[in-house]
Amino acid sequence: MAALEYFEVECPEPLGAEYYRQIANDVLLDHNLLKVVEKLHIYIDPKVPVFVAVGTLRRITTIVRVRDFVNVNPLEGKMTLVISDETYLAPMLKIFWETFGKEHVEQPDRFTVMLYDVKMSAKEVEDIVVADPSESLFRDLIYALRCIAPEGFRLRKEKFDKTKFSFVASENTLAEDIDALVAQKFALIGEKP
Amino acid sequence: MTLVPVTYKGGIYQHDIITDLIEDLGGYIVQKHVIASEVVLQCFVPKEDIELIRRLGKPLFGEVTDSPLVGTEIAIVSMSLEIHHLPHPSCDIAEYVRRIGAKSNMVSLARGPGKRISGLNDEERDVINEHDLAVYLMGNFEHCIGEKMPKLRRGIDVPIILCGGPDEAALRRITDPPFDGYVGNVGRFMRRTKEAEQLEKLDEIVDVITRVVEKKREEIAKDPLSVSPARLMDLIREKVPAILDVTSPTPLTVQMQGLRVKLPYDTFAEPLKKIAIEDGIHLGDVAEVLPSRMRDYILVKILPFSETNMVV
Repeated sequence: MAALEYFEVECPEPLGAEYYRQIANDVLLDHNLLKVVEKLHIYIDPKVPVFVAVGTLRRITTIVRVRDFVNVNPLEGKMTLVISDETYLAPMLKIFWETFGKEHVEQPDRFTVMLYDVKMSAKEVEDIVVADPSESLFRDLIYALRCIAPEGFRLRKEKFDKTKFSFVASENTLAEDIDALVAQKFALIGEKP
Repeated sequence: MTLVPVTYKGGIYQHDIITDLIEDLGGYIVQKHVIASEVVLQCFVPKEDIELIRRLGKPLFGEVTDSPLVGTEIAIVSMSLEIHHLPHPSCDIAEYVRRIGAKSNMVSLARGPGKRISGLNDEERDVINEHDLAVYLMGNFEHCIGEKMPKLRRGIDVPIILCGGPDEAALRRITDPPFDGYVGNVGRFMRRTKEAEQLEKLDEIVDVITRVVEKKREEIAKDPLSVSPARLMDLIREKVPAILDVTSPTPLTVQMQGLRVKLPYDTFAEPLKKIAIEDGIHLGDVAEVLPSRMRDYILVKILPFSETNMVV
């Protein structure tokens, strides 16, 4: 957990806390969220029962452009694009189809895309923005926290903004003063809700 | 003649020598898997002939290993089918017990998760009771397990092995009356079991299952079954050709006290009852043929000697 500045799991059952620390670590790792989350404090009380996760986020400025995973080779009238990572291949093709039209785009095999008679220079093609990972960040984060929280805790309340988040879940109706608990946990990581 | 459960693993070339040998010796092949150029036979063989099989199997690269769980059907009870429990640990455990010969089924509860809200419905209860034993995979909190366990064990009359996050002593403390087996420190986790430490835990589960199975076998031996389930399996395979067309991996699943026949009950229950075993004794005389709660399968429950007064 080197990437997280602060990571604590608080629980009246010490063994349970240890397991949940492991689960949280595995889930964040699986969802590639370790780089995004800066601080994370999880509080679980199975007696109430309640699950609270509060934390802060790092600023993500990385926008994925064509040049990040593609090698563009212009050759009179056509451009050969050699793809090194398929993750963003589908959104890239979609953008190409919209910009150049399907008749100018061809994909002879998995790792090659050809562009015919396009008006852009190789440099401009390289600069096309393919995806913004921050768009799906909150969705991913909520999903990850749902995976971490005990499954029976189905009543949830989430609050997110660009820098911090809180996630509360319980099996019973959430108490009215739940915000006080959230504020208390935020105080532990030195933040205000 | 005592039949012992073993697994034979060897090359596919000339493996019919082994299958014929097992049948000639009076043994039964419960399951046969052909994987590429390898064949795995899960079978019951006479104890005194294991050496012979080993000797004849040697030129065919055959290995004979003890598999105490061959001929058992185990329910792995997972609290739900959500990502929280699947594929780890539920599938890992179900797959691991399969390797040593058991036929494991995963039973996932409709309302398993939670503390107050968890429960077991009648269908789930009946399905679990159709197995030889049930392995309950619980979560990580002692408090929750203690609270929900009485609801989840209600009506279950097969032996239960409880696996949970707290250590074994804690699991024993919170459950009353005690279960047949406990394995602590295996609660919910979200990673594949591949490290030595985790595999040891799986081995521990297998050990506990084996112990419970052996105990049950001893109890059955006190009042032996009227006919061996493996023998019935062979008979059904011979007399009901429709079973050969069933595409399920184990069309006839051998259990400790009966077997599951994966054919529709309405059509095949009567023909099954009429199968002659020997000397005018029919299957219906020594076993109950019941509809299973699992799909429209048939469940054959073999009656003990004390009820039928015969052993065939």
